Parts: sequence; C-alpha cells; structure tokens
Amino acid sequence: MNALKFSLTILLLAGLALAVGSCSKKADPNTLTSELLPVPGNPLISFHILLKVGSANDPAGKEGLGQLALSLMANGGTQALTYQEITKRFYPMAAQVDLAVDKEMSVFSGTIHQDNLDKFYVLFCDMLLTPGFREEDFNRLKADQLNFLEKTLVSNMDEQFGKEILNLALYEGHPYGHEDAGTIESVKALTLDDVKAFYTQNFLQGNLVIGLAGGYPQGLPERVLADFAKLPKGHTPALVLPQPKAPQGLEFVMAEKQTPATAISFGFPVAATRADDDFLALWMAVSHFGEHRQHLSLLFQKIREQRGQNYGDYAYADHFIQGRDKFPATNYGRRRQYFSIWIRPLTNANRHFVIRQTLRELRQLVEEGISEERFKLVQTYLLNYTKLYAQTLSERLGWQMDSHYYGFQDFLAAVQKRLPKITREDVNRAIKKYLNFENVRIAVITQDAAALRDDLVANTPSPIAYANPNMPKEVLDEDLVIQVYPLDVRPEKVRIAPAGSFFQKPGLPQQ
Amino acid sequence: MSRFLSLACVLPFLLAVPLGLRSQGSKVFPYDFKVEVLSNGLKVVCVPLSNPNIIAFYTIVRSGSRNEVEPGKSGFAHFFEHMMFKGTKTMPRPAYDDFLTKLGAGTNGFTSDDHTVYFVVFAGRNNLEEVVKTEADRFLNLTYDEEMLKTEAPVIEGEYYASVSNPDRRLAELLRDTAFEKHSYKHTTLGFLKDIQDMPNQYQYSLLYKQRFYAPDNSILLVVGDFDQARLMELVKKYYGPWQPSNYQLVTPVEPPQKKAKRAHLAWPSKTLARMSVAFHGPAFSDEKINKAALDLLAEVAFSNSSPIYQKLVIEEQKCQNLYTGFPDRRDPSLLTISAVIKKDEDLPAVEKAVWQELENLKAKPVSAELLSDIKSNLKYSLANGLDTSDGVAGTLFFFISLTADPGSVNNLYDLYDKVTPADIQDMARKYFTQANSTVVTLTGGNAK
Repeated sequence: MNALKFSLTILLLAGLALAVGSCSKKADPNTLTSELLPVPGNPLISFHILLKVGSANDPAGKEGLGQLALSLMANGGTQALTYQEITKRFYPMAAQVDLAVDKEMSVFSGTIHQDNLDKFYVLFCDMLLTPGFREEDFNRLKADQLNFLEKTLVSNMDEQFGKEILNLALYEGHPYGHEDAGTIESVKALTLDDVKAFYTQNFLQGNLVIGLAGGYPQGLPERVLADFAKLPKGHTPALVLPQPKAPQGLEFVMAEKQTPATAISFGFPVAATRADDDFLALWMAVSHFGEHRQHLSLLFQKIREQRGQNYGDYAYADHFIQGRDKFPATNYGRRRQYFSIWIRPLTNANRHFVIRQTLRELRQLVEEGISEERFKLVQTYLLNYTKLYAQTLSERLGWQMDSHYYGFQDFLAAVQKRLPKITREDVNRAIKKYLNFENVRIAVITQDAAALRDDLVANTPSPIAYANPNMPKEVLDEDLVIQVYPLDVRPEKVRIAPAGSFFQKPGLPQQ
Repeated sequence: MSRFLSLACVLPFLLAVPLGLRSQGSKVFPYDFKVEVLSNGLKVVCVPLSNPNIIAFYTIVRSGSRNEVEPGKSGFAHFFEHMMFKGTKTMPRPAYDDFLTKLGAGTNGFTSDDHTVYFVVFAGRNNLEEVVKTEADRFLNLTYDEEMLKTEAPVIEGEYYASVSNPDRRLAELLRDTAFEKHSYKHTTLGFLKDIQDMPNQYQYSLLYKQRFYAPDNSILLVVGDFDQARLMELVKKYYGPWQPSNYQLVTPVEPPQKKAKRAHLAWPSKTLARMSVAFHGPAFSDEKINKAALDLLAEVAFSNSSPIYQKLVIEEQKCQNLYTGFPDRRDPSLLTISAVIKKDEDLPAVEKAVWQELENLKAKPVSAELLSDIKSNLKYSLANGLDTSDGVAGTLFFFISLTADPGSVNNLYDLYDKVTPADIQDMARKYFTQANSTVVTLTGGNAK
C-alpha cells in the first residue's frame, strides 16, 4: 500500500471512529464496528475484540470447532512467533489474552498498562490477524478441550456439570444445544484444516466489534481500525434461531455418579431478553426470588438461611456468568434466553425435599406474585446495586458493548431511569407472562438416581432432619407441607444416564 | 528501575486522585494512606480517593484457620464468619439484611489461614455513617443463640459439598495434612469434615472464640474511596470507641523441622487428569528478611509460564495440562508448592523427576539477571493492574495489613524484591529444596462411571 493510500485509509477510518464514537450504529454490515470508551488520564487500556460468532455457529458434526479455533488464536503462536515466544514476551508486562466463547458471540480481551501498550498491541494484533495455526498448538489445545469434556466437566465440577446438562436439556435439537467445547466425538474428528477454514469463513470485518477503553493515546483507535481493516470485508449470516421447545410437564435429566452431594439446576426457555420492554419487570421478580449470592434471594432465605440445607440457592432471568466478585460478566449476549434456578450441592438425603420445596416456592411466586413490601425492597436494591456493576475499565467497556447489543445507549443508565417507573403490577404481569411451575426441565447430578426417580414418581414423603432440635415452629409446619407436596412426575419424563455418557455426542445420552 | 518510576508516576491519575498528595517516591503502591489508632487498639487505615463515588469499607480480623490450635476446632474461624451475619438486638438479622439490601452494597466475608475479612462496597458518601454505625454494631453487639448456630452449622457442610467433586481441593487437604505435624496450617480453612459435622455442638466455644479474637486489638478497619477522612474518623471514634480489647495472646504450635521426605496418594473414583504437588516447608512472610521475597521470585523464575520447564512440559512435550507454583504469604512458615496437572498417569514419574531436576539446576547455576528483571517487572505490573477501583485497592492492601498490621508492607515487599540477587535465589534453593524437607502428594483417577 502506498503512503497516500494508507493515509487516506487512516483518515477514512478516523472518520468512522469519530462517527461511531461510543455508539455502534453503522450502515454496512460487512465492515468493522468500534466501541470507544476514552478515559483520559487512566494508565490502563482495555481491549475487547468481539466476534459475532459463537458455538451455535458450529457446523453439525463439528461441535466445538469455534472454541478450538479461537483458543488456538488466544493460546497459540502467530505466523512470526511460537506460543513459547509470545508467553515470554507477555510475561514482563503481566499481560494475557483472555477468551470467552458463548453461543452467539466470542470475545478476546486484555488490559495493559500504558508503559507496555505498543509491545502488547503488536503481539495481540498478530495473534488475531496472523495466527500461526501450528500443528503442535492444535494438538495441545485439542487434547485440553477433550480432557475438559471427558474428565474435568463430568468428574471434577458437579455444579458446572449440572448447569451444562440443563443447557443440553433446554436446547435439545437447537443450535444452542451443545456444550461450547463440543462433544467428545466431534472434537476427536476436528482437524487443523477445519480450524483454518473456520478462521477464513468467520474472521471477517463485519463480524468484529473493536472495543477500546481507558487512557489510550491519540490515534490508537485509528491504528487498530486500520489494522483490522486488513481482514476481508463480509459477515457471517445471522443464524436462524427457533424458539426452543417448551418442556411438557416436569422433565428430569439425571446424571448418575458416586457422590455424597446432589447438584440441581431448574430451567425453561423465556421469550424475553433485555431488549424487551417488560424485561426489567421480569428481572425484578427474579431478583426477589433468587438474586445471585445475595441475602435478598427468597430461595436463599428459605433453603439456606432457615434450613441450612446448602451453601446457596439462586435464580436468573437470563443467561448468567459470574464476573468479578458476584457481578454479572459481560459479552454473553443472546437472542434466546432462559429462566433458571441453581441449587448448590446438598446432602443426597435431602434432595427430594429440596426439589419439592423449590417447585413449591416457584408455584407461590407464579400464583401469588410479589408483595408490595418486597417489590419496594427489590426496586431500591437494584437501583443501588447496579451502580457497582461497571467499575473496572473492562467492565465499563463490556457493559457499553452489551448495551448496544440489546439496543440501549446505556443499559445501566436506562435501569436508573426506568426502574422507578415500574409498578408492582408490571412485575406481577411479567411473572404471569414468563414464568410457570408446571413445565420445567430439571438437571440432577446424584447417586442412586433411580431411587430418586421412584420417590418422585410415587410422591413418597420426604421428611428431613435438623441438627437444631428447636427449629422454629413455622419452619417445621411448612416442612410438613413441603415433605408431601405432590409433584406430577411421570416415569417416562425422567431420563437417567451415567455421568460418563454425557457429552459423547450432541444432545442428551440416549437411554 | 525506570519502568518502576513510570508506574508510580502514572498510577495516581488512575482514580483521579488530586495532585498534591504526599509523594510516594518510588513506592509501588501509589496512593497516600493514613493510619490512626483508637485508644482501644483499633487501627484504621484510610485511603481517600476522589473518584468514582464508591467506598470500600473492610474490617480485617487478624484471625483465621491459623488460630484453630485446639483439636476438633478446625474450620472454626470460617464458621464464625457465618455467625457474624446473625444480627444484634438493635438490628436483628432481617433488619441487617434489609439495610444492606436497600444500600445495594456488594458485601460478604471471607476467611483464610491468617484472617477473616468483612467488606461492604457501596455507592454514595452520604451512606457512610449508616455503614460505620451498622458494621460497628455487629462487631460490638453480635447476638445469636444456640439454635441459630445449630441451623447455620450444616451450611458449612453444604459449602464443603459445593467443592466435593474438585480434586484440587481434596489434594490440597491431603498435602497440608501430610506436610504439617503440629501447626494449624495442617488443615484447610474449611476444616476437616469430621470437625465440620461437629460444629452444631460448639456454641460455647463460639462465644469463647468471639471473646478472644473479635476485639479491637485484633482488628483493623480499611476504608478506601470517596470519603472525607476527618468525618470518617469522627464516626469511627463514635461507634467503635466502646469496643473493649481482649488482650488475648495466641500461641501457635511451632512446626518441628521436617527430617524425612513424605509422600501420600489419593485415589479419585472416576476419570480425571492426574495431579501432583511437590511441597517444601518455607519461611513466613517478611517485609524485612530476604528469604521469602527471594523464594517468591525463585518460584516465578523456575515455574511461571515463561519458564523453560513450563515450556517443555506444557507446550512442547505436552505431558502436562498445567504447571504452577504457590507460595502464599503467611504469618507463620508455610509451604512452597509446585503443582502439575498431568495428562497421562504414566507420565507422573517423569514429571516429578523433571521438577526435581529443575530444582537442582537452581542450586547449581544462578539465574540470569535478565530473567530476574522480567520477574520483578511482572510482579509490579500484576499489582498495578489490580488497582483501578476502590475495591481493587482495598482488595490488594487488606492482605498486607492482615499480615503485619502495616499497610506500608506492600511497598517494603516490593523494595525487597528489587534487592533480590541471583545469588540470593541460589542460596534459597540450596537451603529449602532438600529431599528431607519435601512432601509429595499425587492423585490419579479410577473408572467409576
């Protein structure tokens, strides 16, 4: 490229950057989008390079391809440098590139001190624009991905295992319906050529959002945009995403394994996303019912605080990944969402009771709605708590990007503006519209699953015992109701499979 | 050194700290802090920042699982952390929950070997008085009965179950139990399962525990963010003034020198990647003596992801999925541990041999000055990257305060790092990495479905 042409490109891109500023409006779907958040004086610079492609884009039979290809970029060499050389150069800067792959988007992120900006950026840019795709990196990361599916997920992390099984159950036959890492069968079959083809087909300008935040120097956005504009123009067509099938009754999936503790996740698809007008009302309802790791959560109060059953019990209005501290992580935008409940592991002896208790609480929420007192409490809580969501540079940039993804200028500002106007009736209307207690998918990791199935089907009474001989009367009275609370569980709606049989192929294991 | 200076010069702008603060010279922690001590012994560390309207209020109780020196009491510091949320007569638990919920605060507690920390991170300096008042109330006037304790105790068992499927947690338990004979670092913060299951019967001990350790002479307040320091101190004196010191002197058992190599194995019932930890008894944290600082750098030199052995075992030969070290800063001598996650069980001996060989190399040959410089740079930038919020600053500083009661320890430690030479590292390798001082634990999977 001659100097004049290069300068013109820079000017054009500078114009684009100025035009988009902190808002990602653009006309041409085949070119880059940028998200800029200048914070003058801040010595750190955060990068979020978001790819509008995720695991839902994996072709049939090649599940896990996106994860593997992007891992090779984040954790592999470039054309010029081996991965060993990159780690050596990153080390004195305390630099790293993080990768998160979700269903519809993936993000590379990194935060660097301005002392090291140039050195870091050159490497980061090369990792994404001229990846090495070496055989040895491919073999290493493919083995890691397989080990995760085959050993770690099913054997070393039951809480996550339960959530992943719920995902399989919620999205059976849907593009979301496989673990982001794929299946054991599909990953084994992946080749380096598959990875290279994935890159060629998907690393296109129109698929990328270039996020930059912090005290970056003048000219950096233009430089980054010019570099990434070397990618071919184009974009991956948006996936057709059907609404997932609603559960018909209570549908259980149980993973059988040797364990003293049972992990349980409940869920069903909901049509609302943050883009919908009544999402905030639904969000308030779910915050009341199960705010993540907060005493506000009704489930937490009833299951943990009153009865000491486990470490925590929470509910979510949309897909939730915990970020820093207990706050939601960003860049997990989805067009299809689900409601879920997470019951942390509890002793196997009390599993039937807690399943009953959770579904009974859900029923009460749906039938009775939220009280005026709790409504006001949640409103005040969310107005204050959400002020803490975006503190670090990376968080601020992530929220800005998510805001635009869901059609907001600033989602957290919209919360401050809209939440005070939401009424209790709005919340109760959203509960009736989106939540239910009869059609729910339930994932259970446990031992002797067949006995649990039989107890559920027969509605066997499930009393529990306490270390405290003087439990409050109101708790014991409620226990008498819970322990015989009838559930309509049909034996054909309970699927049981050995833990090791999950993630072998797409979907749930065949019985 | 120039990079170091650059960090110190730039960071004060991070949170828009006003110019004119006391110069920190070449100190790696760039913010001004002030320490005041009340007449009852309560120390208060203030780090005022003018931006971004968020305050982190930390209470550091210098008591953790290290303080569980009596048989059958493992895990008690952590259990007591749970009891600290049970409320007071003037503010019972529901009212306390209600207060925090309306405040919309990020709040919790956490326990480690040497400390238990409670934090409230909230927006708005107008809320400061209510936070100080409420936090003081629960430390001075905590009230709970035996029944409340019996209901809370099983939650700890639930917390244990939350990680029951995690082999790293179980291997860490085995390592401590094997390596230590006398010291309370023998158990993890959660404690032995048998002690957890006995917690419902420990009401009387819980009262004793509170009396001994939840006192102003064993606690430090750390406040970071957007507040007026004079106003804060006025509030602290008003609400914490009546808190009575305990004057309790903890005596931790002295761990006798290890005289013989130890080894233990854990069989995991289902498929898993193999694990191995090679550990050595090392020194306690010190911001004055070079030993711990030199070993910190040594661990990075030898086993960070830029080290030759990491490159060989993880990237090139791909025998390991991961290789890492841990040498936590502790008030008493703790373990320097080298851990590996190994892809095939049959490679366990080769990986262990490679680790020992690397340790022998450190004894035989001094590390290069260039590599040492890279390590020091990494440590400084790692610290700097975590200082971009009020909570980040508090989350960094509390740890040093818990160790020495002196926030200046953070700067002292990094000054020490700068003084470490290749010869220091070689000396430490020779001193600590002996067979007799070692404990090796391994874990391999089985075939349970």
